[in-house]
Amino acid sequence: MESDTQLLDRYAAGEESAFEELVRRHQKTIYDLAYRMLENHADAADMAQKTFVQAFLHHRSFKRESSFRTWLYQIGLNLCRNAIRDRARLAHEDVEEVTLTAPHDTFAEVANGELKDRLGEAIRTLPTRQREALVLRVYHNHAFAEIGTIMSCSEGTAKANYHHAVDKLRRILVAGEGIP
Amino acid sequence: MTCNEIKELTVPYLELDLEPVRVREVTIHLDGCAKCRAEMEAVRQVLVRVKGVTVPDPGDQFWSEFPGRVRRELAHAQMKGQGDVTLLRRPVSARSWLRTSMWPMALAASVLLFIGAWFLKGLVDKGLVQAPTEQTVVQTPQGSQDLTHPTDADLETYWDDDPDTVLVEMAARLDQRTMDRLFGDI
Repeated sequence: MESDTQLLDRYAAGEESAFEELVRRHQKTIYDLAYRMLENHADAADMAQKTFVQAFLHHRSFKRESSFRTWLYQIGLNLCRNAIRDRARLAHEDVEEVTLTAPHDTFAEVANGELKDRLGEAIRTLPTRQREALVLRVYHNHAFAEIGTIMSCSEGTAKANYHHAVDKLRRILVAGEGIP
Repeated sequence: MTCNEIKELTVPYLELDLEPVRVREVTIHLDGCAKCRAEMEAVRQVLVRVKGVTVPDPGDQFWSEFPGRVRRELAHAQMKGQGDVTLLRRPVSARSWLRTSMWPMALAASVLLFIGAWFLKGLVDKGLVQAPTEQTVVQTPQGSQDLTHPTDADLETYWDDDPDTVLVEMAARLDQRTMDRLFGDI
């Protein structure tokens, strides 16, 4: 199987098939990331689309010091941060403590019951950076070093964000459900 | 190891993100501390529950259409002139092509003209080509009449009466040397 960078080279040479292959290869990952950050299908789909568009528009900026996938994560996460910031601005709330309120989305209401339970609410209360670390670690199985690269911080900071996130969730759930 | 130290190491312990020596120390502490064991179990349950949260699949149609949506959006952005490289290259108008190509073309034409003139001068200098002079003008044996420019008097005198004779006369008056030079190669 061709590597991502080989496909990117082919795309740069004008091969449309390489473009399609790259999108298909990573679309579910980026959508998952966007959904977990933004919590509704419409925004997640839009953000995933924008992530790929930005990546292909600026593919010459990709220095290949990390993997193409990591680069996609960086772009996607930045776009999600901007979206969260915009939401916070609209809601006149502090971005670090914002409770993410998803816009009305029939698809999400029908299909995403799980994020609406107590745990989902607890995850929503996490500060953005802690939430990013949690998502990248728990759902995307990244090593802390890579999480640091994606989040543009040190490995130690990524670990600290993750630990704080888990600790906060534990405290919330313990308080709510009587877990010892 | 104290309970507070264990608390700090709970997540790394569950994540297997500790050195073997530290893992052993935490394990020994947990064996003898019910409170820390309960704390550890609570965190483990949180992690299990967090991992159980799934994202609903938007469906096969969404995934099959997704690359096309990205392509359309990308083409739209490229048409607006964004990005590094365009897959859809914008057509170059003839006017803008001429505008950008005029100077190089003029320069190339000037250089070619100069080379041609220089080459021709070289041939003339070597005598391979005869430069146009007054001597090449075809003259009649009698003197200075230029047959390439017959006078009105000649035409009027002979042409109306006997054009064939005029033609023969003109041919006869051609300089033999000129004939040789013009038709010598044939």
